Amino acid sequence: MSERFIYCEDREAYSTARVRALEALLIKKGVITERTVDTVLEFFETKMGPFNGAKIVARAWVDPAFRERLLADTPKAIAELDLPDGMAGAEGEHMRAVANTPGVHNLIICTLCSCYPWPVLGLPPYWYKDPTFRSRAAREPRAVLDEFGLPLAKNIKIKVWDSSAQIRWFVVPERPEGTDAMWEGELEALVTPEAMMGVAVSKAT
Amino acid sequence: MKLQHFLGGLEGLGSVSTETRVFVEPWEKRIFGIHTAMMALSAQLPLPTTPSVFNTIWTWADLRKGAESLNPFDYFKFRYYEKWLGGISGYFIERGYITAEELNALTDEYYQDPSKPLPVAGDAAIDERVVQYLVEGDSPRRDVTITVDFSVGDMVRIKNVPSVEHTRLPGFLRNKTGTVETVYPGAYTYLCDTGPDGIGPAMAVYCVHFDPAELWPDNAEPNFSLYADLYAHYVAAMDNGTTVKAT
Repeated sequence: MSERFIYCEDREAYSTARVRALEALLIKKGVITERTVDTVLEFFETKMGPFNGAKIVARAWVDPAFRERLLADTPKAIAELDLPDGMAGAEGEHMRAVANTPGVHNLIICTLCSCYPWPVLGLPPYWYKDPTFRSRAAREPRAVLDEFGLPLAKNIKIKVWDSSAQIRWFVVPERPEGTDAMWEGELEALVTPEAMMGVAVSKAT
Repeated sequence: MKLQHFLGGLEGLGSVSTETRVFVEPWEKRIFGIHTAMMALSAQLPLPTTPSVFNTIWTWADLRKGAESLNPFDYFKFRYYEKWLGGISGYFIERGYITAEELNALTDEYYQDPSKPLPVAGDAAIDERVVQYLVEGDSPRRDVTITVDFSVGDMVRIKNVPSVEHTRLPGFLRNKTGTVETVYPGAYTYLCDTGPDGIGPAMAVYCVHFDPAELWPDNAEPNFSLYADLYAHYVAAMDNGTTVKAT
């Protein structure tokens, strides 16, 4: 077998040491500070993340007029909400939302890389970045959704959106049945990043 | 031709990963943070100068160029952030910020003693700029007058432009026909000039609808549509040169 297909035995220990050495050198040389990497990570834990997207979707579920505005001009509608600064920031400068309906299911993909709406969803999950998903979702989305545990009826049309320019996309899933009595905060808990990318739907429990 | 440009539609790959974690190893967080700091400190941005010695350009285009220039088998072999670690380390070495020798030597030290602390240094203004970048972003939209050749409903042909180094045109759309679904308002630059590939200057961007049965005849699932956002340079009139509305 070619050496190309052999991983070093201590694959993760090596990368752990390598990235720490790189960070240490960059601090020592004055490229970044000892707080820079943690500053970035804290930003994604508190300011840019799926907690914002969940609020946007929950509002769209309880306020049909907001839902219409969100689909017509996504950044403008998001700016109405009381969310952290940066909702039109890095990787969210131009966003577009598409909504699922009883007859249409939307799926967001990026066949060239991993474009993802950072302000509303944070960072892309592993499945989204994996080349197998990116390849297969373009030609056989129904089979892919089935593997995610989302079998779709044949009469439901799937719209696959490949992010290859400036727009970062997300899905407004359908409000699950049996949630009429829930208030907005409870509904937020039903919205996952997977539902907002279209490999899942929101469920009542 | 680079396999990385032609992922869409590849067959024989097996099951998808349904892993929902962003980082599957703790070290991956650190390289993500370094990459994001590099984008924020990149020299072309109109942000306050800081004491950082970083004085070159680093954008998504640089990261993508690295991934697209990999041996295609390595592209599949290495995990997402493994490719980042290789590409970013190589950039800092090539640009002379660090040497391969000191990176290798320090890697050995941290390998022997993972608990060895990081140096403590740096000016807070550097981190303030990183946060400012995250909050403000780097919009590619430009207020310039451009020619918009197509409108919603027009049938278009996708060009097969030379892609020597880097492209934003998915390979499976080359030479195919589609229908304009949206003309985005305004004009959009790309992060770098892609040379013969043709993007970089401010131009229109279209969302184009494709019929999977035309993309992969007799070999695509029924009852779905594929849409792609495409820079105007990749979008041409139908072969007879006339504007045709889809029926």
